Amino acid sequence: MTDLIPLTALGATDLRSERLGALTIAEDDSYGLASLTLRKGQNAPTPFGLILPAAGFAAQSGRTSAIWTGPDQWLVLGNGQGQTDFAAQVLAQTPNTSVTEQTDGFVCFEIRSDAGGPPIAALMSKLVNLPPETYATGRATRTGLDHMTVFLYRREEGHLSVLGLRSYAGSLWHALATAAERLAQAA
Amino acid sequence: MTRLNGGLIDRTTPLSFSFNGKSYQGFKGDTLASALLANGVQLVGRSFKYHRPRGIFTSGSEEPNALVTLHNGARSEPNTRATVTELFDGLQATSQNHIGPLERDLLAINDRLAPLFAAGFYYKTFMWPRAFWEKLYEPLIRKAAGLGALSTLPDPATYDKGFLHCDLLVIGGGAAGLVAALTAGRAGASVILADEDFRFGGRLLAESDLLDDSWPSEWVDRTCAELASLPNVRLMPRTTVFGTYDHGIFGAVERVSDHLPPSDEAVRQTLWRITAKRSVLATGAIERHIPFQDNDRPGIMLAGAIRAYVNRWASAPTRNADDPVAIFTNGDDGHRTALDLLGKGVPVLGVIDTRPDAPVFGRYKVFAGATVTGTKGRLGLQAIQIRQNGQATWLEAGALGVAGGWNPNVHLASHHRGRPVWDEGRLAFLPPSDGPKGMFPAGAAAGNGATGVAFADGMRAAQQALTELGMTARNIPLPHVTDTPNAQAPYWHVPTTKRAWVDFQNDVTVKDIALAHKENMRPVEHLKRWTTLGMATDQGKTANISALAVMAELTGATIPETGTTIFRPPYTGVTLSVLGGGDTGRHFRPYRLTPTHAWAKAQGATFTEVGPWMRAQYFPRDGESHWRQTVDREVQSVRKDAGLCDVTTLGKIDVQGPDAAEFLNRIYANTMATLKVGMVRYGLMLREDGHLFDDGTCARLAEDHFVVTTTTANAGAVYRHLEFAHQCLWPDLDVQMISTTDAWAQIAVAGPKSRQLLQRIVDSFDLSNEAFPFMACAALSVCGGLRARLFRISFSGELAYEIAVPARYGHALIERLMTLGADLGVTPYGTEALAVLRIEKGHAAGAELNGQTTAQMLGLGKMVSAKKDSIGAVMSRREGLAQDGRHLVGLLPLEPQSQIPAGSHLFTRGVAQTMQTDQGWVTSSCYSPHVGSYIALGYLENGHDRLGEVITAANPLEGQSFVAKVVSAHLVDPEGGRLRD
Repeated sequence: MTDLIPLTALGATDLRSERLGALTIAEDDSYGLASLTLRKGQNAPTPFGLILPAAGFAAQSGRTSAIWTGPDQWLVLGNGQGQTDFAAQVLAQTPNTSVTEQTDGFVCFEIRSDAGGPPIAALMSKLVNLPPETYATGRATRTGLDHMTVFLYRREEGHLSVLGLRSYAGSLWHALATAAERLAQAA
Repeated sequence: MTRLNGGLIDRTTPLSFSFNGKSYQGFKGDTLASALLANGVQLVGRSFKYHRPRGIFTSGSEEPNALVTLHNGARSEPNTRATVTELFDGLQATSQNHIGPLERDLLAINDRLAPLFAAGFYYKTFMWPRAFWEKLYEPLIRKAAGLGALSTLPDPATYDKGFLHCDLLVIGGGAAGLVAALTAGRAGASVILADEDFRFGGRLLAESDLLDDSWPSEWVDRTCAELASLPNVRLMPRTTVFGTYDHGIFGAVERVSDHLPPSDEAVRQTLWRITAKRSVLATGAIERHIPFQDNDRPGIMLAGAIRAYVNRWASAPTRNADDPVAIFTNGDDGHRTALDLLGKGVPVLGVIDTRPDAPVFGRYKVFAGATVTGTKGRLGLQAIQIRQNGQATWLEAGALGVAGGWNPNVHLASHHRGRPVWDEGRLAFLPPSDGPKGMFPAGAAAGNGATGVAFADGMRAAQQALTELGMTARNIPLPHVTDTPNAQAPYWHVPTTKRAWVDFQNDVTVKDIALAHKENMRPVEHLKRWTTLGMATDQGKTANISALAVMAELTGATIPETGTTIFRPPYTGVTLSVLGGGDTGRHFRPYRLTPTHAWAKAQGATFTEVGPWMRAQYFPRDGESHWRQTVDREVQSVRKDAGLCDVTTLGKIDVQGPDAAEFLNRIYANTMATLKVGMVRYGLMLREDGHLFDDGTCARLAEDHFVVTTTTANAGAVYRHLEFAHQCLWPDLDVQMISTTDAWAQIAVAGPKSRQLLQRIVDSFDLSNEAFPFMACAALSVCGGLRARLFRISFSGELAYEIAVPARYGHALIERLMTLGADLGVTPYGTEALAVLRIEKGHAAGAELNGQTTAQMLGLGKMVSAKKDSIGAVMSRREGLAQDGRHLVGLLPLEPQSQIPAGSHLFTRGVAQTMQTDQGWVTSSCYSPHVGSYIALGYLENGHDRLGEVITAANPLEGQSFVAKVVSAHLVDPEGGRLRD
């Protein structure tokens, strides 16, 4: 185990979390991430027992989830695997596929609502151009947010994961927190 | 005071406001215009060109005259229409476009000079002397013209943005819009109902006809309450849908807090992008006036506006309560205003009806077959001249309502260039049949403005729209209303030899249109450009149709033959701030930070923007007073000991698959397939046209696994290029790729002591030259088991490596390297030193790969392999490119302390400097502490054969000229021994 001390995407030793009205936005670095792409002629594997989702969806099984990111391509998320070589684990589960380590490619912000779906939907309407039906639980998509590219994953009615490029973490936090703060102010 | 009884104002909430510094009282529910009228204020501004006294003309967003400046200082908001400004306590408004008090504007002299300012005057006068235009005439005209003035201070308000989606967007919340929204809402469709007003109801609020035996406002309130209770309906008052864009997208601005005292915290306005599957255009209609002589005095208004002020706001349009009001009309609609005035106890002088057989609907005088032919009253209407049966009579009047018919508000239906269609029966242009897809005009906007008809039309439009979406909307009970007569006879203007205004905002008169006709500016577009008719903030909403009717009369063409100008967004003015989306200053655009940013900041680094990235530019130390001192030190440290530089920003693309090698062979100009596992190769990518696209390294981690690096600037472009090549050119190749730039923190460790330093962090890995030679790469672990990648590559020309670890450890790694390398003299260096090192070494960067250069120019022509095909290879051999004789060379100024600016052009010494004798240009330039002189790189004609020649580098922009010796581009270690050591 290395003795190097990691830093969060927001450049601190502690994860940032802020409560704004009904919403709490929290940085989460516990996920191991790996992109998984099938090679020609391969059938979709079931890494960690996960049935890989179709376009526009995510899937979850135990502590592993996956977001569809392109034809025959997924981003696999392993909860609690942020400090491990998660890509190697995914590859072991999906031999001969193309797996790329992405754990630190993205920052993950978890947005939780203590008033169910509406505050999440209100926040989304300030940030992304997505029709409400794609906000439903289990939906995930890549979209533009404040000129950045992000993945959105509606884990539950009141729980949305936003994954953005790690280097943009500060700007992404600003965009999310500003929108949440304004909603809290207007409420 | 001319406040009447009734109205939809809250008399329990009085509000104070000021106009031109004077305090007045109004009520909640008032607009600034209705409150001013209730206080007997008619004069509110001065006209654009002639500085004529002007008053409130309308009761809506079409207002041409009553433009005021709200607030002051940085918050001052010019050209705000008083007619749509919701009153709040403490509101401050001032009038515009006058010198001295509003009542005694010194620029009113312009009115006396009117003949000088006829249509197109600025195309005809002030032409000479030519030089006077820019310095004298234009500033003078600009000072005299124009309405409000900008504060020129940064806007302190907060703006927001958002996105909405719905099945049905209903634009306008009047009779048709409310019914459309309710019909669709009850059917379960997701509905957005937007209205620019702060209260829904549209003209229903302005009329007195009972709906099912109750006041219209009561029906509106009940309907809105039901709509508000439906979870699938979103009500958006104070929201102007200003533009129809492609694919069912609409732009809308919600005025979130403009109706409240200004605040630093509250969002002022929100820009919404609404995506609607279908839309109902229920934008109502705008009344038109009838131009007659001197028709622009304060107190002369649209008759429908007077009705709105009387019914909705309980404000009489006169200065004094007992001043009589006259109505001038060509149809029954004007009579409605007279009846409502009488109902409110306002004295009515009579209705001047152009129709000889004018009807009579009540106890008021009717002047049948009559016209208004003149007015008096300098600052407000005092008398009108009525001409009937050849007799002209002057009668005292405090206000005059003009009713010339209604123009459907087709604006949004024509944003896709569909031309409105003339309806002779209705004397109006209706929305085009080839308007935006999925848009259903309804109610007055579709020419169906009679209240009962509008209700039914709104329901029909919603039902049709929903049917297209596969939904069924049942009929809803519609209120019963006795429709009032609305016959009219065409009558467009009262002929006169004096001025009769058509466009109040731009001071365009019937005479101006006649002049435009005489000067052959007859198509409506020319008419607009020549006279300025229909320009500025109101875009001629009350003027355009009347103007083209006048033009039609002059040309003898019909109105539809004359046509309309094109409607374009925005429907009404939109602040640029809200279009900007609200982010200003540091967050104007998102930016990227490197994994070592916090560390570099703690070291006191200066940062520079590199695309969206913030990179450490240099790391000043105590005692260094100039950046050059710092950069020279950093460069020398790298050449002598070791330096660290965060190079995470370079693009990294993971390329895998059985055909990865073949794929990269086609992407790169040079051969990649032969690269051995565990080795790195420098690669050139060409564009299809054979020019250089990007350069970088390609590392082979396994038979079927490569990591491609790109320049920082082209990281996205190269990835896109690769995806395009795979998806469109060679989908048969079994290759997978994904960007992995952010996943790894990559740090360059450069300098003679770099191996020694790295040996201290790797976990039992042999770094010797034999085991890990120049251009080797490996996956390994460092610092006690952390996975890492090591590449032995060099940009500086020294023994050098790049080490990559998961990004979260980048900070700790650079700290560790600094600690462990302290005794070796390790130094962090920034992008400036990075640039100096590579210029000294003659390595290309963005300045050399500027899109106009080739591999051959770079001296790397042989890298474009002839043994295989690759993107751009064939085109790089075309005549024009293959014969380009310019080569990259180094330049040493003979005067070592003078810097040749990048961009300077190169010439043979002593030759005249012309385009024809131009021999190339300087790409990069810096001070080289290694050489002890300024140095430069540049492309020079036949450069490889001119080493030693002294040439001229010229910078004619600044009158500079330098004498420089042509040398090899590689000023450091040209044999490359250091790299391989």
